[in-house]
Amino acid sequence: MEKEDNELILEAQQGKHEALEMLFHRYKKSVFNFSYRIIGNRADAEDVTAEVFLVLFTKSYLYKPQAQFTTWLFTVTRNTCITKIRKNKRLVSLWFESSSDEKYQEWDVADPKALPPEELAQKEMARQVRKLIAKLPEPQKSALILREYNGFSYAQISEVLGCSLDNVKVMIFRAREQLRGDLTSFMTEENDERT
Amino acid sequence: MSEHNDIKQMLSLYIDGELTPQEQEAVKERIASDPVWQKYYQEMSKLSFALRNWPDEELSPDLEQTIRIKITKKREDEKMRTRNHIISVGVGASAAVAIVVLTVVMQGPLSRHTTQLARIDADKESPAAPAAVAQPTTQLAMLEEQSYRMKSPQVKKEMEALQKPAEIGDLALRANDRALGTLKADKVELAARRSAVDNSRIRKMGGAQTSSYDTAQGLPSAVGASDSGLFRMESRSAQYEPYYLETNYPVSPDDVYGGYSNKGGQMIYPPAQEPYNREQYDRIYENPYLTVMENPLSTFSIDVDTASYSNIRRFLNQNQLPPKDAVRIEEMINYFVYDYPQPKGQEPFSITTEVAPCPWNGQHQLALIGLQGKELTGRETPPSNLVFLIDVSGSMNNPQKLPLLKQAFRMMVNELRPHERIAIVTYAGRAGLVLDSTPGNRKAEILAAIDSLQSGGSTAGAQGITLAYQIAQQHFIANGNNRVILATDGDFNVGVSSDGELVRLIEEKKKQGVFLTVLGFGTGNYQDAKMEKLADKGNGNYYYIDTINEAQKVLVHELGSTLFTIAKDVKIQIEFNPQQVKAYRLIGYENRILAKEDFNDDTKDAGELGAGHTVTALYEIVPVTSREEHGNVDPLRYVQTVVKGGPDMMTVKLRYKRPDEETSRLITESVRSQENRLRQPSNNLQFASAVAEFGLILRDSQHKGNANYNSVLQRATSAQGHDAWGYRAEFIGLVQKAQQLDIQVYDRE
Repeated sequence: MEKEDNELILEAQQGKHEALEMLFHRYKKSVFNFSYRIIGNRADAEDVTAEVFLVLFTKSYLYKPQAQFTTWLFTVTRNTCITKIRKNKRLVSLWFESSSDEKYQEWDVADPKALPPEELAQKEMARQVRKLIAKLPEPQKSALILREYNGFSYAQISEVLGCSLDNVKVMIFRAREQLRGDLTSFMTEENDERT
Repeated sequence: MSEHNDIKQMLSLYIDGELTPQEQEAVKERIASDPVWQKYYQEMSKLSFALRNWPDEELSPDLEQTIRIKITKKREDEKMRTRNHIISVGVGASAAVAIVVLTVVMQGPLSRHTTQLARIDADKESPAAPAAVAQPTTQLAMLEEQSYRMKSPQVKKEMEALQKPAEIGDLALRANDRALGTLKADKVELAARRSAVDNSRIRKMGGAQTSSYDTAQGLPSAVGASDSGLFRMESRSAQYEPYYLETNYPVSPDDVYGGYSNKGGQMIYPPAQEPYNREQYDRIYENPYLTVMENPLSTFSIDVDTASYSNIRRFLNQNQLPPKDAVRIEEMINYFVYDYPQPKGQEPFSITTEVAPCPWNGQHQLALIGLQGKELTGRETPPSNLVFLIDVSGSMNNPQKLPLLKQAFRMMVNELRPHERIAIVTYAGRAGLVLDSTPGNRKAEILAAIDSLQSGGSTAGAQGITLAYQIAQQHFIANGNNRVILATDGDFNVGVSSDGELVRLIEEKKKQGVFLTVLGFGTGNYQDAKMEKLADKGNGNYYYIDTINEAQKVLVHELGSTLFTIAKDVKIQIEFNPQQVKAYRLIGYENRILAKEDFNDDTKDAGELGAGHTVTALYEIVPVTSREEHGNVDPLRYVQTVVKGGPDMMTVKLRYKRPDEETSRLITESVRSQENRLRQPSNNLQFASAVAEFGLILRDSQHKGNANYNSVLQRATSAQGHDAWGYRAEFIGLVQKAQQLDIQVYDRE
């Protein structure tokens, strides 16, 4: 029988490398995608992912058994993301003020003409969602992402963000409110264009 | 105004299932009674769907490689630590070269010196860096390491910093730096090998000026190391830049770098720890042409699975052509509902047959055999006793998996009737009962249980299945639809029991009247073959859920057919008339072929037909007039076969059992070729043949003849018919996409 996360991390703390491997396999994708959604660009998210797993592999002793492993892992991930964003801000100010749109541009976008129309629409929609999420302020953004994409419960989110349950409720609601307005107008525009 | 906001917030909580049952009821009423809130609720619900437009992305293999290399190196380091202590202490006099990768912050010489001490890697005993220097450093490092192990106040602070959320990120950063420093000290001798860690250190220091201890000792190669490392991190190039190390160290480079050495400036990557994509498909061997003289009987079990089609759709939507063995043509054909007549009288299904010229081979004909299961109206449907067995292992933590599944189940729960029962069992590290069998009218409770599902832990599928069957049996409804619905990405470890044992369990429960339906989710580690096998053994269906629409199709629109078995062990046997047919080939159904004796053997398991299901099989037929040669067997010397012949082209025989019976019933129907020749092929045959043709192309079948995308598109479009849910339109879109992808592949080659 395979083991639960909490068992694995305890084993890892006792020096069992396989346990860490297992955890890495389980969480690499969700850690990366969470970071990507928080930071908004792939390269930084990749850096953060590498850092988080290095922390996990070299400093698993930091984990305390009282906590749920996922909650702990995402707390570390989120903090690493926020550190990264801060540093980015400092770096950017030294160089140039990039427009926000440029910052979130995907460099892997191929020639748009080569894509079939429905896929183009989907890409466009994805771009729009990315943009709107990027506009959300912290910690609302984290709360919403954990809820919508990672399926965290409110209680887990409150642990990750270190705030009260009521606070989480308000944060998720506000984030939704903001997105709802923006997205609804975007979607209706889309539909109008198509018809 | 504030009341407005309160209700809005309640709605948000309602969507997440974070309300008490009473509150939930109140909100529900509010939505039902007030169109304003209804609209608001709809918008809020749409939001989640809209957010799915940003799906999870795969890690680039490069990144995974990078992380894995770091991890592997860390492991190597640990293994070698003891060995190196001995070397550095014991072999002090032997000659070697010091390798140092150093970062020096622009600070005073004193701090510079300490940094250097802490970061010396010079274990390899050079005359310039005698063991005398190395030893104290090692000791220092060990001391430091110990003090950290003892959870010094600093470590505690570090713990807090890492775990304390948000605002103190900077503190966490500093703590991180310190910890990395410790790391360094803790492996003083090995830093060169761990340039990864060094690099992150370098990066942590921002644009700090870099220098190298080696430079002072006239070893410029190491500067290269540090520089390229810095470059790598700053430029964020996803690949490892080579770094150069010159050493007389007697151990082979592979030993030191973990098989990751620099040969002629080209990096050698260690083999990946595991394949990037762990999806598994069983090899499909296509049915060959069989001559009627040798094999007048063709026998197979029906298959109502459709998973292969949705899986193919997922590949195409990701701009990939599916692997050949992921293409099961019968599942593609059966994904679509055809317009066959409803059965009359007592029979649970009707049989339709049709023959027309084969579109991809002008010399051949195509015979269609279609079954239409009886549609049940609400009152006729037997009550359900369902146990959802939900995989909540860590691998399900992905918008395409658990959240999608939760949404799908929510939709389905709304369709439940009061006297039906539902239970939820999860399995991850341990199997758990989330919701004991609950009547269908307590929807709020069921919904709340669904919402409480979270992923985490690994998978022990077998244990969960055992528990699920146990509950299904406890609440068994006689003459009802007793079923375990397994939802998983299939990445489960059957642990105590082998696959074989699991299959035996499923088969045994099936005999007791509890069936199994499998819903497959997700990508990357999808175990197609295993899931199909499980569903097959459990008298069940197997679906692949890739989108919310597919979830809706399976769980809501086709709820009846997915869940209510109206005939089991349905077998088809065709007898071809050698006067008219020279050879034939069954398209698809490769893993459903039965021996001819199995047809009349009631102990032999076969496929199930659900209410309203349609099943379609196509035969490609070589007419007797053809000059083609099939099956090269010498004529028999002692046996002479006498052909009786007749006006029919073939006879279709069908055996089935009613769900609660163990003896099969037989239906026989003969098919003539002439009667259909004058007519234009029906929409059914046109569309089914288009799907089959598409499958032949995707499989790159050796029997594909002139199959081509344009002909698929033309027939699919003209036979689109009344396409209530848009599935056929979607099919046409997929064919177009595949065509484009195929052209691209062709171009590249």
